Amino acid sequence: MSLRDVLSPFTAWKHVINDPVTIKDPFSREASDRYRGFHQNDMDKCIGCGSCEEICQNAAIDMVPVEGQNAGPGDSGLRPMIDYGRCCWCALCVDVCMTGSLTMSNEYTWVDSDPDAFRFVPGVDAKSWDLEPKGYQREDERRLTGTVRAPMGETCPEDRIGNFDEIVDGFTAEQAIIEADRCVECGLCVATCPAHMDIPDYISKVRDGDYEGGLQLLYETNPFSQACGRICTHKCETTCAAMHEGDAIAIRWLKRSITDSVPRERYFDLIQKPDVPETGQSVAIIGAGPAGLTTAYDLARKGHQVVVFEALDKPGGMMRYGIPEYRLPYHVLDHEISVIESMGVEIRCNMRVGQEISMDQLKTAYDAVVLSIGLHQGRSTRVPGSEKAEAAIDLLRRITAGEEVPVPEQVAVIGGGNVAMDIARSMARLQKIKHGKVGVTVTALEELDRFLADKEEIEEALEEGCDIFPARGPQEILVDGDTVTGLRTWKVDAIFDAEGRFAPKYDEDDEMVHPAGMVVEAIGQMADISLLGAELTEQLEWNRGRIMIDADGQTSEPWLWAAGDAVSGPDVIHAVADGHRVAVSISRMLTAKREALQ
Amino acid sequence: MFSFSPDRSQYPQPGPDGKVEVDLETGKYLKLWHGPNHPGITGNMSVELTVCGDEVVEGKTHVGYLHRGFEKLMERRTFIQVFPIVCRVCVPEPDFNEYCYAAAVEELAGIEVPEMATWIRTLILEMGRFNSYMMAMGGISGALGLGVVGQWMTYTRDLMLDRFEELTGARIYHMFILPGGVRAHLPEGFEGRMEEVLSTAERYLADAEKLMFHSSVFKTRTQGVGYIDPALFERYGVTGPNARAGGVAKDVRKDSPYLVYDQLDFTVHTEEASDIYARTMVRFKDLHETIQLIRQILKKMPKEGPVMGNLPNVLHWKIPRGETYIKGESSRGEYGYYLVTDGTGYPRRINVRGPSYTHAMALLEHLISGTNISDVAALMVSLHTYPPEIER
Amino acid sequence: MRELLYRLKDRYHFGTPTFQRDDLCFVTVKRSELRAILTELRDVEGFTHLTLLTAVDWIEEQQFQLTYMINNREANLTLALRVMLDREDATGDTIHDLWPTAATYQRELREMFGINFPGSPRVDEEFILEGWTDLPPYRRDFDTLAYSQQTYHDRPGRETHDPKTHMQKVLYADYPKGAK
Repeated sequence: MSLRDVLSPFTAWKHVINDPVTIKDPFSREASDRYRGFHQNDMDKCIGCGSCEEICQNAAIDMVPVEGQNAGPGDSGLRPMIDYGRCCWCALCVDVCMTGSLTMSNEYTWVDSDPDAFRFVPGVDAKSWDLEPKGYQREDERRLTGTVRAPMGETCPEDRIGNFDEIVDGFTAEQAIIEADRCVECGLCVATCPAHMDIPDYISKVRDGDYEGGLQLLYETNPFSQACGRICTHKCETTCAAMHEGDAIAIRWLKRSITDSVPRERYFDLIQKPDVPETGQSVAIIGAGPAGLTTAYDLARKGHQVVVFEALDKPGGMMRYGIPEYRLPYHVLDHEISVIESMGVEIRCNMRVGQEISMDQLKTAYDAVVLSIGLHQGRSTRVPGSEKAEAAIDLLRRITAGEEVPVPEQVAVIGGGNVAMDIARSMARLQKIKHGKVGVTVTALEELDRFLADKEEIEEALEEGCDIFPARGPQEILVDGDTVTGLRTWKVDAIFDAEGRFAPKYDEDDEMVHPAGMVVEAIGQMADISLLGAELTEQLEWNRGRIMIDADGQTSEPWLWAAGDAVSGPDVIHAVADGHRVAVSISRMLTAKREALQ
Repeated sequence: MFSFSPDRSQYPQPGPDGKVEVDLETGKYLKLWHGPNHPGITGNMSVELTVCGDEVVEGKTHVGYLHRGFEKLMERRTFIQVFPIVCRVCVPEPDFNEYCYAAAVEELAGIEVPEMATWIRTLILEMGRFNSYMMAMGGISGALGLGVVGQWMTYTRDLMLDRFEELTGARIYHMFILPGGVRAHLPEGFEGRMEEVLSTAERYLADAEKLMFHSSVFKTRTQGVGYIDPALFERYGVTGPNARAGGVAKDVRKDSPYLVYDQLDFTVHTEEASDIYARTMVRFKDLHETIQLIRQILKKMPKEGPVMGNLPNVLHWKIPRGETYIKGESSRGEYGYYLVTDGTGYPRRINVRGPSYTHAMALLEHLISGTNISDVAALMVSLHTYPPEIER
Repeated sequence: MRELLYRLKDRYHFGTPTFQRDDLCFVTVKRSELRAILTELRDVEGFTHLTLLTAVDWIEEQQFQLTYMINNREANLTLALRVMLDREDATGDTIHDLWPTAATYQRELREMFGINFPGSPRVDEEFILEGWTDLPPYRRDFDTLAYSQQTYHDRPGRETHDPKTHMQKVLYADYPKGAK
């Protein structure tokens, strides 16, 4: 044992003069900048999607309704209430938060003798750390649920311009699963969808590869899922929780991937008429568009006899005669309608009510009549020479019907909506086929970013060689003798006046003449109500030129309902929703009638 | 004065078969509970001693005071939900659990981890090792009555906890190593503040060295005490510093480099004596090696780059059927996670292989017979065991 | 590792091995051959380190999987031997004489999975649990949630809302949901 070993421990005495290292007042010690302390929630950003609740492994979070936060598009109105008796401060809720609203402060020293004080709604129940900038936040955007949309294959512009073949490939099975995987199943989209389709549920079927189950789920809310999987206005995607940081889920394409993945003949096995007794009651439906056929589908499945009267020679309405084939191929539509027919729905084509059969006859022969006539009359700009203009909707119908339409080398289209894009791109194809080159000019009152058309429609039109002139107001359709020579436009300064009424103001110095052998007006459509006849038109109540209906779609006449574009505006999914609503209302009336007779 | 007889072979008297027959009725033996609340116990466990005089005849380890059924709880949680739980398996060095679990999930799910994240993971693991060794140093000196060293070590560990806090956002359970990467980059100016901690630690360690390795008391109490025959290492699953103190130069970081250990220079220190002193000395040297490694990592690591790889949507994350085992060198020896997946969104089985499992159970029970009561604490602490790893 | 299995395959019945990594392989062996394989691997092939011994409950297949993970520290190879046991008659063979530390693992398996290892020292002594009378808790059919709900009580007054259902109630309660 060396002397050194005896003495060296005594060196510890040098510390006797050191100051203590203890923190005397631990309550005023501020935590680090990224400390995971009590939560903060930005009420302006939170959408109440509940992903935080979903991921919490302690079940510390409840979604609760709170004062001042109302449910609305893309916001459930619920907010997370956190039970700090369970919270383990792992911050997965912050990491998964779809909007970045949920963060953590660096406050951790709060003491209270009431245990219930430690259960509160951050951002609603005011706390001293609500505005504290320090505390845990994600370094960048959310990374736990996927932000980038799976790529979608498309025919390139060069290959698609010379034909009417479908452009969008549809997801492959792998792409669909990748895309479906991103969904957090909050269900905010369901409220936005007019038909309230079970979106998260069918997306989860895609994820599990259960396409047949998915198809059955689709048919519960929408017998036009194939069409909607292609051409739906997909408002659901504008309220998707994923869009706040990243791309919204491609809900429309996922719907399509279900319908594409089930073999056609399997549809008839999977979607069968329920075993219900025939009621012996019958319903006439005027117009075989999405609203009329949805009504027919629902009513037929309830055991009623349904006859659909269609003026044109094929069913489908605007889906066939308005939407070009490259967006919705006819064979898809034919198959979709054949499923509806398999429910026992009878569709009588080339039966124009008002000519072949009258409203009075229908009223007498059927227990109820549904008016789902769509909007098949084009509106006119009424500028000088407009009597020489073509109506887009009329032209589209003729193209579908296979009629010969004039195809000049240069065409001018007035309008910035989807119909304008449809006709511009259809004419472009015809030009390419006939002349080998595209010569389409689209003019619209709006600036490009305010166009009513879908963004991809505009992009694709540009890719296909259409020239788009935004903010141009039509002044005159130039005519030389019987032939149209061009379109004269002025620059638009403002579309609406101070009160927000439609009153375009032009810069008359900025004039352009767009040479064209044809000018097409695509500025909106209206319903052709001549079939009603003077007497019925007089009896019905009207609202701003539209037939007035109640919440169930019933008109002021007890036997007549109205649905679809003619009353709800142009949109397939709205028409489907109308159809369901009307069918329920009619069925209720018919049941009451039946019970009264018994 | 006391006289000290090193020959203890006479107590207690073994029977003709060489075994001691314990009959409490004779009054010669006494049952003595060492723990679960005892300053010489590492965490909440206890050793049921049968003593004869001050001689330990037999010891049985009792655990279960901390059992929370983690492995079972994990089976009920999705793969991301397991992440906040794993660190709780070990208080002083939680990061190893996070790393092993994350790496196991990444391997079975086929997720790539960015380079930057592997460097930060290595840094975190070494910081955790630093803390763990600090506790071990404090623990062994505390068990021998050198409380002041324990206070110094606790203080320096606390300084490292400050660094953990600013890097990870928490002091003890960091929940920082997510499957796929780590949560964040180093904060601004982190290297400088870390250097202050490391140099403070070195100062205190220099002082501690004088009180431990240059103290006659410490040497007397530890040299030749708690000897583990190196022949037993394999039989009892002895790994880490406990084995290195017996001359086995094995270190998973060296033998099977994970993360970025193949790009780092470090020495695997060994001792030959295989007693308490040797084990403490190996830890002491390894602690300096860790300090050196932290400096090296901070110097060599890339300055930028992503810290997270691409994860699928964790809310419905399914991993195909498979199994794997991920191991690493923790401050106590080989630490590993055995993960079995069955194609669902939940683990089928997670088994945590903590080094304490073998050290504190079979090995300790084997070593404890024939020691003196006053040496039991030092012996246990010198094995550096943490009970939560045993019972999980 | 492949070469090692190739060398042994004539004398023992191996299942299809899974080469998880270069240094990690899983292979199923017959229970009757386990002891011989372990002994040979330990004494001849340098797999001297028992890394772990644990069980996996494949309740759907009515089997327990025992995983014996052994490691050759010199060559840095890990071999995991799987032994499948009938879940109804869950009995394994003790290897405490090969590795004394295995007794601890076997005691735990006895307690947590109900797998018996006759002859293993103190195998029937309580290990972690005290006075446990329920199913062995690590078996898949032991429901921890049900247990905790029976044993403890939830904090009163908690109620959560599903965003989708809540929005339906608030925003479109009248809409007829499809043809349902």
